[in-house]
Amino acid sequence: MKVVCDRAALVEALALAGSVVPTRTTAPVLGCIAITAADGMLTVAATNAEVGLTIGVPQVDIQKDGTSLVPSDKLTQIVRACEDTTLTLELEKSILHVHSEDAHFKIFGFDPKEFPGVKEFPEKASNCFTCSAKVLRRLISRTLFATAVENSRFAISGVLAEKRGKRLRFVATDGRRLAVAIGDVQGGAEEETFIIPAKPLQVLNKMVDDPDAMVSIAQEDSQAVFRIGEGADAAVLSTNLVEGQFPPFEDVIPKDQDKKVCFESAELGSAVRRAALLTNEESKGVRMAFSEKKLLLSSRAPEMGEAEIQVDLKSYQGDPIEIGFNPAYLTEALRVVDAPEIEIELKAPNKPGVMKVGADFTYVVMPVNLT
Amino acid sequence: MSIKRLPPELVNQIAAGEVVERPANVVKELVENALDAGARRIDVTSEGGGRDLISVRDDGRGIPPEQLPLALAAHATSKIASLEDLESVGTMGFRGEALASIASVSRLSLRSRVRGAEEAWVIRSEDGGVGEPEPTSGPEGTLLEIRSLFHNTPARRKFLKTDATEHARISELIQTIAMAHPACGFSLRLGTRTVVELPAVDDPRRRVVEVLGRELTDELLTVDFEGGGVTIWGLAGTPSIAGPTSKRQRIFVNGRPIQDRAIQHALREAYRGLVEPGRHPTVVLFLEIDPRLVDVNVHPAKTEIRFRDGGAIHQAVRRSLKATLAEHDLVPSLELGGGDRGSGSPGGRGPVRPFSATAHGATASYESIREGLEMPAHPAPFLGTSAASTTSDHESKTELMPRIGADVRILRVHAKYLFIEDEQGVLVIDQHALHERMMFEQLKARIDSGPLEVQQFLVPDMIEVDAASIEAMETLAPMLDRIGFDAGVIGPRTVAIRGVPSFLLSRNVEPGPFLRDVLAFGAEQGSVDDVEPLLSEVLDMMACKAAVKAGDRLNDHELAELIARREEIERISNCPHGRPTSLRISIAELDRKFGRS
Repeated sequence: MKVVCDRAALVEALALAGSVVPTRTTAPVLGCIAITAADGMLTVAATNAEVGLTIGVPQVDIQKDGTSLVPSDKLTQIVRACEDTTLTLELEKSILHVHSEDAHFKIFGFDPKEFPGVKEFPEKASNCFTCSAKVLRRLISRTLFATAVENSRFAISGVLAEKRGKRLRFVATDGRRLAVAIGDVQGGAEEETFIIPAKPLQVLNKMVDDPDAMVSIAQEDSQAVFRIGEGADAAVLSTNLVEGQFPPFEDVIPKDQDKKVCFESAELGSAVRRAALLTNEESKGVRMAFSEKKLLLSSRAPEMGEAEIQVDLKSYQGDPIEIGFNPAYLTEALRVVDAPEIEIELKAPNKPGVMKVGADFTYVVMPVNLT
Repeated sequence: MSIKRLPPELVNQIAAGEVVERPANVVKELVENALDAGARRIDVTSEGGGRDLISVRDDGRGIPPEQLPLALAAHATSKIASLEDLESVGTMGFRGEALASIASVSRLSLRSRVRGAEEAWVIRSEDGGVGEPEPTSGPEGTLLEIRSLFHNTPARRKFLKTDATEHARISELIQTIAMAHPACGFSLRLGTRTVVELPAVDDPRRRVVEVLGRELTDELLTVDFEGGGVTIWGLAGTPSIAGPTSKRQRIFVNGRPIQDRAIQHALREAYRGLVEPGRHPTVVLFLEIDPRLVDVNVHPAKTEIRFRDGGAIHQAVRRSLKATLAEHDLVPSLELGGGDRGSGSPGGRGPVRPFSATAHGATASYESIREGLEMPAHPAPFLGTSAASTTSDHESKTELMPRIGADVRILRVHAKYLFIEDEQGVLVIDQHALHERMMFEQLKARIDSGPLEVQQFLVPDMIEVDAASIEAMETLAPMLDRIGFDAGVIGPRTVAIRGVPSFLLSRNVEPGPFLRDVLAFGAEQGSVDDVEPLLSEVLDMMACKAAVKAGDRLNDHELAELIARREEIERISNCPHGRPTSLRISIAELDRKFGRS
């Protein structure tokens, strides 16, 4: 294998692949990535027990085909540290030579046969459906933040994907809040339900940076496979699915909220972030007092201070209400809604609040009891 | 069987069962009588565990011969005459039943010579039968000799323990009484051995220290408090001299040694977090309170009393101790083990104990004790304190926590310990213990201003627990509310968690397992009237779970915050489990090790 490649493009591909490679491994070969030159394409592949990933590296000049299996961290560090625009990678037996203008690195690699391999996209799967990268990205970012980081309830450590006809719904919850995002998809089976772990979604979220790219999603052998882009340089990510039952979430979404507020998302976000400055670990909540045309946010951290922030409302329907929320739960959602205006629906201080962006995003968040 | 009025001897024997359960009670009654008679010296002898002989000799006023028979009669006393007097009892005894009761179960001889009188008189009694006073010779004062105690009540006699045990009780008793009466000299001879010899002293502190043991001088802090209608004076031991039993805890109310659960609780509360569970701090407290606000006539043995305002007493005791402890730097200093290269250990403290940690308390307030104990004119530096800082300690009335410099550098060791330079040397901090302590104080302060904040759940989280835990839910319910758990029993073995303290969530503590631990703990405690101590325990658990662990890498910001806030937290020196959070290696100790001293 011999290939001249654009260093920046290689760094990007290696960084993505590196996020899949396990950091602490029992055998060195598990910490390796496979670099393959074939059919005029250079691809980087990495895998761990759960996720497999193949990414094409653009802007390359392939002089000789072949596959190299080298430690991910060392190669990434070297490619990052060099300052040249292009680098030459050359494989000699199992040694990968990296040439820059003024430097030469030899990286001792492994026999490519030891690479476990990554799953290819199941071209012919009947359950394959497609959407734009923009839609997938929005689905991921609007739900991923709400997953349960702790692993006690396994099913909610991932994001539920639920396809009904041309609608794909992503749902995530950590028991205190629930995020539901809806996007349009084409093709595939009428009904699909599976739970995708959070980690590969984070990787996927970085891979869908071209909004116009076409994304294909299929399931095979209890894995979900995502292909971003088309043709030979498409990136493919495969992941095991989370087993278990996602809790019934429909009942959690309240239907009888009688107070409705409309906000500029940016303005509310700023106000909540400022109020959050004077909260601490024991007194997390921010008090929100809604009255006609006005929201008064207040917070209090004992021995530190107090904050009061006023926000003008675009509109308010219903009786005045005072309710407390963990500000992080609001700001995290406001950061990802990607819409100029949002609506918040409330009922009572001890009942959930609902944040909505049209029909595409619903976010239910439980209050805190302020004392 | 027809109803008959009991003969007076039998009445006395029954009463004796209440007052004189065992020889130590006899000694107590007699010594108290001696004190009430204005004795300046009391000599006690006991033989055969008190069964063969108890003798108490005092140099008090004495009893005139014509009153000797009356002294042995029931409900005859010189101490009170009317109900009004009973309201404000200022003497130790007053019920007028002790001598009669004792006389009814022993062979007793009472010899007395009134101060300034020409001759002594003696009266003897056997099994309640009182003889006539006869003139005899003897010094001024009164001598009581009790022989063959309980010889006519075999049941009582059978319940007595071994001679050694009975003697230990007597010794304990004399020491306790002696603490409250420094102006009176005491001696106690058990068989042929003199076990207590306490000369009369002017300084009450000196007496207490002599009884507790002179070697503890440096570890005893003075308590001086006035408020809530109580004056409290006493000595509080540093956590390092807490013992395995509560033997070194003595509480006196108006000079009377008492046992009171509320006061003991206040004491535990004050030391909570400083002393490991199962250890008992050394505390001697004298409470002075208007006699009209205490009822001492609750029990014949007078060890139980009733306060008119128990809550105020509880609060005063707790506050007095807490204030004393908070005023002093309780960071134990670490002596490095191995041979001492210096010119002998300072101040003749004896050999350096390898790796033992001892707290050094404030030295300033101890001047008087040390003088009283005839310490060297220029006391050598106390443990771990350089001569210079000792001097400055003497100047300041209260020794505050030594400050850590502003531009402090922190050395992290094995992601477990932090080494920091401070004014006295090197401070070694256990990061988990310190953080836990900090969280605990934070939570405690927070919970005083209202229940912890509850984050509600979308869907209740169900946990399965055992039957005992379900039962504990009922007792613990008010406490769970306060710590921010919204939980309820919804099945024979199921608890639904509807909301949890947002504090736990933000510290990534899983609420389910935590609540299960709390319930298991509650089940272990059984039903309690007062959840306050439980609350502290549970806050401990919370703090422990939430705190950084040994092995967690702290970033610079977290470290800085931990160190900066160390000084804010009251009594920071021990984690809530009572383990130390910090140790100090003093410059003096290092100097000694390097042969510079």
